[in-house]
Order: sequence, then structure tokens, then C-alpha cells
Amino acid sequence: MSFTLPRRAALAGAAAITGFPRLGFTQPRQPIKVGVPTILSGRVAQLGISSRNAMQIEVDRFNAEGGLDGRPIELVVRDSRGTPAEAARLAREMISSEGCEFLLDAEASSGGFAVHEVVRETGTLTLHVNSETSSLTADPRQRFWNAFRVARQGIHDSIAGGDYASKVARARNLRRWMTVAPDYAYGRDTTAEFVEYLKHFHSEVQVVGDTWPRLFQPDYTENITRLSQGRPQAIYSCLWAGDLVTFVEQASLFGLFANSAFFAVNMADYTTLQQIRNLPRGVHSGNRYLKNFPNVPGNLDFATEYNRRFNTFPTNWSWQSATAVRLLGKAMRDAGGTTPRAVAAKLAGMRIASPFGADGHVTMRAEDQTLVGYAIGWGVTIPADPFVENMQPSNWADIFRLEAEWKRNKGWN
Amino acid sequence: MELTELAECVTSLSCLVTQSAAGLTIGMLLFLVASGLTLIFGVLGLVNFAHGSFYMMGAYFALAAYGVTESFAVAVLAGIVGAALLGLVFERFLLSRIYGQDVLMQLLVCYGIILILDDAVKIIWGADFRSMGVPDSLRHPPFIIAGGVVPYFYAILFAITAVIAAVLAFGMGRTRFGRIVRAAAINPGMVGALGINTTLVYASVFAIGAGLAGAAGALSAPIRSVVAGAGVSILIESFIVTVIGGMGSIGGALAASLILGFTRSFGSIGFPLFVEGAMFIIMALVLILRPSGLGGRRGS
Amino acid sequence: MARDILLAGVILAGFLGLEFTGLGSSGLLDFAIRFAIFGLLAMSLNLLIGTTGLVSFGHAAYFGMGAYSFGLLMQSGGWSIPAAIAVAILATALLALVVGALCVRLSEIYFAFLTLAFQMLLHSLILSWIGLTGGDQGLMGGIPKPAFWGIELAKPAHLAGFGMFCLLLSVVLLRQIIRSPFGAALRMLRDNPDRAGFLGLSVYRYRLAAFVIAGAFAGLSGVLMSLYVSGAFPTFAFWTTSGEAIFMIMLGGIQVFLGPLVGTAIFLLLNDWITALTEHHGLFMGTILLIITLGLRKGLLDFVMEWRAARRRAAP
Repeated sequence: MSFTLPRRAALAGAAAITGFPRLGFTQPRQPIKVGVPTILSGRVAQLGISSRNAMQIEVDRFNAEGGLDGRPIELVVRDSRGTPAEAARLAREMISSEGCEFLLDAEASSGGFAVHEVVRETGTLTLHVNSETSSLTADPRQRFWNAFRVARQGIHDSIAGGDYASKVARARNLRRWMTVAPDYAYGRDTTAEFVEYLKHFHSEVQVVGDTWPRLFQPDYTENITRLSQGRPQAIYSCLWAGDLVTFVEQASLFGLFANSAFFAVNMADYTTLQQIRNLPRGVHSGNRYLKNFPNVPGNLDFATEYNRRFNTFPTNWSWQSATAVRLLGKAMRDAGGTTPRAVAAKLAGMRIASPFGADGHVTMRAEDQTLVGYAIGWGVTIPADPFVENMQPSNWADIFRLEAEWKRNKGWN
Repeated sequence: MELTELAECVTSLSCLVTQSAAGLTIGMLLFLVASGLTLIFGVLGLVNFAHGSFYMMGAYFALAAYGVTESFAVAVLAGIVGAALLGLVFERFLLSRIYGQDVLMQLLVCYGIILILDDAVKIIWGADFRSMGVPDSLRHPPFIIAGGVVPYFYAILFAITAVIAAVLAFGMGRTRFGRIVRAAAINPGMVGALGINTTLVYASVFAIGAGLAGAAGALSAPIRSVVAGAGVSILIESFIVTVIGGMGSIGGALAASLILGFTRSFGSIGFPLFVEGAMFIIMALVLILRPSGLGGRRGS
Repeated sequence: MARDILLAGVILAGFLGLEFTGLGSSGLLDFAIRFAIFGLLAMSLNLLIGTTGLVSFGHAAYFGMGAYSFGLLMQSGGWSIPAAIAVAILATALLALVVGALCVRLSEIYFAFLTLAFQMLLHSLILSWIGLTGGDQGLMGGIPKPAFWGIELAKPAHLAGFGMFCLLLSVVLLRQIIRSPFGAALRMLRDNPDRAGFLGLSVYRYRLAAFVIAGAFAGLSGVLMSLYVSGAFPTFAFWTTSGEAIFMIMLGGIQVFLGPLVGTAIFLLLNDWITALTEHHGLFMGTILLIITLGLRKGLLDFVMEWRAARRRAAP
């Protein structure tokens, strides 16, 4: 009894393959299945939900425009519950049993690496939409022809952040810095890179102390008192989502922000901004997603449509997911089909108009198959909508130059 | 190790005040959760692996009540009562069926409860984390004592937790109910033979334990984000407290909670990368030197 | 007893046979690999829970240890797979020895607590020691799988066969252990530790030995896992993995030797089925778990065996 189910599933899979062979006579309405392994439960469920929502908006638009010669896209979304092994299994199953031709991998970074290894073997064209870990595309050993990243990248954020923070530091003479970041790979890497570029742009800055709460630590009191003992002029943090909210609430009670400027790269995302009851004025933040940065009609329309359908605002993951669907749709139309090699060839180097681009466009850089040219900038928080003002767009020319240097130092050219 | 910083801190009054106040508040919140765990174990002989879930539910109930009434007092009350009622339901319909069974059964039932509650919370309140925020009426500048910073809200938290702890100590030590509970922990058969309804005693002890966890969840809802799955990290620390303090000992739980609170607050100055490790080392030391815990009566 | 071995053999032959009947689709191969991994994990845990009566809630620590030590050895280069497996199992056994030495002398409840606590310690160590483990991103870059003895583990079919072979071998070894005088002593410790103590058995040493053996087999299943996902991740050592392993044992039954394997198969099918149907995974799995624990009060195979025994008694 116990083995009937997989066998039946396997037969169904086999039938699907033999029923609709790849010989060229695609039935006109046969949908293009796109697998989306992601996280829909637990602490980071918002990652999967806001990715799926944005994808659905874009897929509906693509299908309404006639799809690919009448073939609509159909999303197959599955919950890995944040378990990398489950993400790997789901990816395999989507490819082998469910007939998915492409993957939009919406896993967080650990699940993303697990999916990455699966598609390295299967050769399925995959767009990672949520992994910001630089090494995923920057390290040549991780690179292969069928995997692309449509997400912001840690190193870009750090260069932009270091540049912005150095200007503020110079203007306000902030030399004593401390950092607080979650104790895991993203927290360590991002903080180290930020500090490196902050010092690069402003050599008189000193980091006099750091504190590393555990990931998802429920309480930050001890970290906050440590920060207040160090009497820094400025504090940097790459805490995010619920952890950042907890930190800000508790730090406000200690009056920490009265004495120190606060730079929180992950503050400007609506889920975070709206959850802080008394958002402190004057926190410096990078843009995760803001409906008015870039301040173009397309961006505002996207947020409005998203809000109309899901009664909430998009996240950083949403714009990335939406962009991934647009890129994939255009690449398929340009390639005139779904052959992975042909679509991948079109994707590499593709530049599309996008409301999320720094200059109205985003580019899938060919050399390392990662998204560049997206809007990136820093601003200052205010307590009410639009929550952030004085957004300073970062200069991509600087980012490209320092990123290339960083890669050279890592031996990744 | 940054022991010179630690030495500087303990010799400076301002640092001492700040860190002690922080340690006390962290410790007392932990005590509320751990005392419920140890109480349930002491009387019912049950390891409530789902205890963290009642902490989480307390926070969500408080959040919901606060959303309607905008009153922190009502919110805390809702957290306590809600968690206690939920505990009562679980005790009556699920856990009472496995009293006297081995740890495996307890573990599995609690695991099932954790899975269900984490999902139920997601369905009712949404998948995203929520934050209650400190109510405006309680948002005042921190006290500055000898240069040390003590947040106003932390002082209130400490006061409330201290009152709850005092009521708990009085209730267990000086009232008829407390005497029955303590007797039931030692010899339930005898208590039953005296005509006391042990079923009722068990149910109320479980409800009190769950209510204590709910109180901690509700009290910390303004300063910690409320999120599904928040119970587990709280649970591990409560386990450590229970082991250090001794299973079933409320006094031991208080001492152990404060020890951990101070380890956290001063550890973050003196050995920031080893705070978690230090807690485990304290636990291992207690297990080796005094296996029944600081306040334990029986050998393990 | 011999019939169980036969059954295990039939299962293995069934999976191998699938290759020849042309049904060896990769979905089925994936299932076989996962069955081998989790079946082995559940079998090893049942040596503690079912045979020795030690309810460990921290078994995933050894699963994770096996996966990480194997993955790190292979990534360091120059290691053959069999050698790396042997060293990984040794390293895991060593960890089990250290943790076990602290834990096995404790009472039932403390034991469950402490194994859980040490597992969480290992988990946060993996998260923090980024230089070695890659933190939450896991061991990146894939795990090289050089061919050995004509076996190419990079091919799913070979990996499935290898996994099933490891499972079968472990099942036979575990069976020998349980049938040996050592196994009899463990059962006596479970049923009546005082009596065992009077007979001069060192409760501590026997339990510790069982703990280390169970840890070593969990390490092997971790090795298979790291081969399957071509990496190692902190969740391997997280409490949910332990919870799932206990769940599997409970589904199948703890008193019947092959119960955990049956439980593993049911668990995996349930899991795949629920994941495909709904995103409320916890709600469904939790409810099923409660129904089985509170309704049957034992695993399925336990239930079937007792039902059959009762029927046989009832028959004249």
C-alpha cells in the first residue's frame, strides 16, 4: 500500500511527458508550468507570500497579453517550510513529476543554495529571486549557464550604504561607530563589507565595538545596554523584519537613538515600517521597497495594484519577483519558445524597462548572470506615510567600480 | 573575551545600574515562563514541551485585545486569561489522557500542539510578524539613576512581574489551594482519598502554568515582535532555568532566572560571543555538582 | 525475526527492480533516497527509544554532525568517499560519547531536556561558526562525489542504490546488536533498571554504549543526506528534525523492529501529499499526530501486531 502513491504519481508524470512530447507540436493552450519553491510558513512566511503575490500579478498580466503564443504561464508554488532538504526535494519533484519547465526560486539564501545544486544537475533554467548572498553569483565556482539571480546583492547594498554613511558621517562628524547584527552569514558578511566601504570613503571612522545577537533572538536588551555603554556617535545594523522592529522598540526605551545616529539598511520595507508603532524620526535606511522610490508612475501603479488585490503593500521580495517574471516572459517571447538554452541566451545581458530601475531600466548582467541597475538609495525615516524622505540615489558607476575591485581581491575574476 | 571592559563596568556605578536593571527585567520575564513550566512538572509530572506556545498565544491574545481596547491592562489580562483557558482546554481534552505515560507520549502530544498552534496563529493573525508597540501612556523618558539608564517601561515590567511572583509565592505557600497542590505533587492518591477532586487540582495547575507563560508573552508583546514560532526559543531558556533551579522548585526557578538574566546583561559586556555558551556551562556545572538543581528536593 | 530481514530484502529488491521495469523515474528514485536517509535515522533513534527506553529529543545533532563532517572532508579535497564516511561516523560517535557521558546518567525527563539543549547548542554553533560551516547558507558549492568501486553517487540511481544498501546493512547490524547479549541487557535496563543494577550490569556504560551506537548510525544517515542535497544545512541539527524522527517512529511503532521503517514510509508519503495539497502543513500533521498518539496510543505496526495477537488468543 505504501508504494502506490509515488508509483501513481510517477505514472502520471510519465503520462504528462509522453502525452505532450517536446517534438514541436505544442498544443496551443498548453500552459507553461513554472515551479516556485519558497517559504510560506514559520517566521519568514512573508517572504513566500509577498513573492507569490507579486508573481501572480505579473503572470496574470503576461497571460492577459496573450502569453507565449497563446500559452499561459501557470505557477506551481510549494512550501518548503524553510528546510533546505525539502526545498531540494520540491525542486526535483517540480521538474521531474510536475512538468515544470522553469523555476523561480523564491527560497531564502540557504534553501536557494540547495535549489541551486539541484538545477546544476538537472539543467533547468532557474531565476533566484530572493537570495542576496553575493557569492551565489559573484563566486565563479557557483556559476553555471542556467541559473540567474534577480535580486539585490549584498555587496551592492554595502557599497551604497558605505558611500551614503560616509557622507553623513563627514557632515555631522560621526567618528565613533558600533555595529549590531544577527550572528549568521548574512549579518557577518554585510556588516564587514559595510564597515570596509565606510572606512574606504571616510578613513577617520573608527568602529569601537560590535555586538552579535543570535538570529531570531527574542530580546535585545543586553545588546542595547552594551551599545549604550560604548557611547557611539553612530550605530549600524543589518537586523531585519521582526528582529529589527524588536530592536528599535527596545532601543527607543533606552533612549539610544537620542545620542547615536542609527543606520539600518533594512528598515525601509513596508512590513517593517508599518509595524513600528512610533517610528523614530531620522533613522537612516537603505531602500528595500518603497512605492515612491523610484518616484515613477509604474512603481506607484504596482504598489496600488498589489494593495488592491492583497490589502497590504509590496516587500523587497515583491519587486524582485515581479522583475523575474517580466524578464522570463520577455526572454521566452524573444526566444520564441521555452527551450532552456535559447531562453538563457536571451536572458544573459537582457535590459528591460522597469519601474524598479535606477534609470527606468534593469539589466541582467551577462558576465555573472545577476541583476544590476535596480534602484538603490538611502533616506531618512519620518513617522508617517511615506515613511522615508530625502532619498539619495546611489551611483551605479561607483558600485560597479568597487564591486570589480572587491571581486579582484577575492580572486573571483 | 573583553574582561577589562567587564571590570570597568562593575566598578562604574552607571554601568552597574543599567546592566542590573536589564538583567532583572530579562530574568523576571523568563521566570514567569519557567515557573509555569516547573509548576506543571512538579504537580502533574508532565514535561510541557508546548509551554512556549502558551507564551506565544499570550502575546497574540494581548495584541488582539489591545487592538480593540487600546488598553495595556486589558491586553495583559486578556493574555493571561486567554492562555489559561487555552491551557485548560488542552489539559482536559488532550494532556489528561496521557498522565502517567512515558515521556515519549508527552513529547508527541506536545509536538502536535506546537504544530497546530503555530499554524492556527498564522491563519488567524496572518503570516507576518506583528508588533504592539509600547502604549503612548507608558512611553516616558528613561529614569537616569547614578548615570545608569533604566527605561520607564522596564521598571513597570519589573514591578508587574514582581507582583505576580509574590502572589504566586503567597498562593503556593500560604493558601489552602497551595497546600493541596503541594500535597498533590507528593502524593496524589492521598489527596484524592481525602475527598479532594484531583482532576480539578490538575486542571487548575495547568491553567495557572499556561497563564504564567501567557502573562510573560503579553507583558513582552510591546517590546518584542509577536510572531508564529516565537515559543521555541523561549522554551529552551526555560528548560535551562528549570534544570538549574531544580524541577518543580519555584524558588529555584526564580534564582536560576535571575542568574541567567545577569549572565545575559553582564555577559554582553564581558564575553559577548559566549553568552549562550556560558548559560550551557552553568547548566552543566549544576548537573555535575548538584544534579537536583539549586532548589531541588529529590535526587534526579 | 528472519522474516523481518526477508522483508527488508524484498523492499530493497523492489526498489532495485524498479530500475529494470522502467519505472525508475527520478521522482521514485528521490523517494528511495529519502526513505533510506530517514529510515536509517528513525531506526537508529529507535535503538534508544524502543530498545533502551531513552527518549532523546536531540538525535538530529548526530544527523547534522554526520552531514557536516562528511561534507567538510569531501570539500577539503583528496578524500575518497568510503574514507570520508568512516571518519564522519567516527566523529559523530565521538560527539555522542561526549554528550552521552553527560546525559545518560540522568532521569528520563532530564535526559530528554538535555539532549534537546545540546542539540540547540550545536545548531547555534553551526550558525555562528561561519568560517567553517558557512552559517545559515550551509556548505556551499556542492559536495564532490568521486566515483569509487564503480559507484558514481552523482547519478541518482546509484545514490538510491547506495542509500538502500546502507540502510539494509545498518538494519542487519542493528538487528544483530539487539539480538546479542548486549541488546538483551539494554532491554532489561529499559524494563527494570534496578534489577539490572543488582545483577551487576553497569547501567551507565550500557546506556552510553547504546547512545554512541545510535549516534553513529544517525551520523551515517546524515552522510547520506549531505550526498542527497549536495550540501549540509543548519536545519539538519534543528529540533524539528528530531521531532520528525520521533514522529516517524511513533507512526510505525516502537515495539516492532521494522516499525520505524514503516513509519518513515508513511511519514514521507503524508508529508509529500500534504505539501502538495495545502500550505497548512502543521495543522494537518499535528492533527494526524494527535489522532494517532491519543487514539491508538501506539504506532500502527504495534497496533496491528497486538490486534493479531489478540485474535490468535481469541481463536480456539
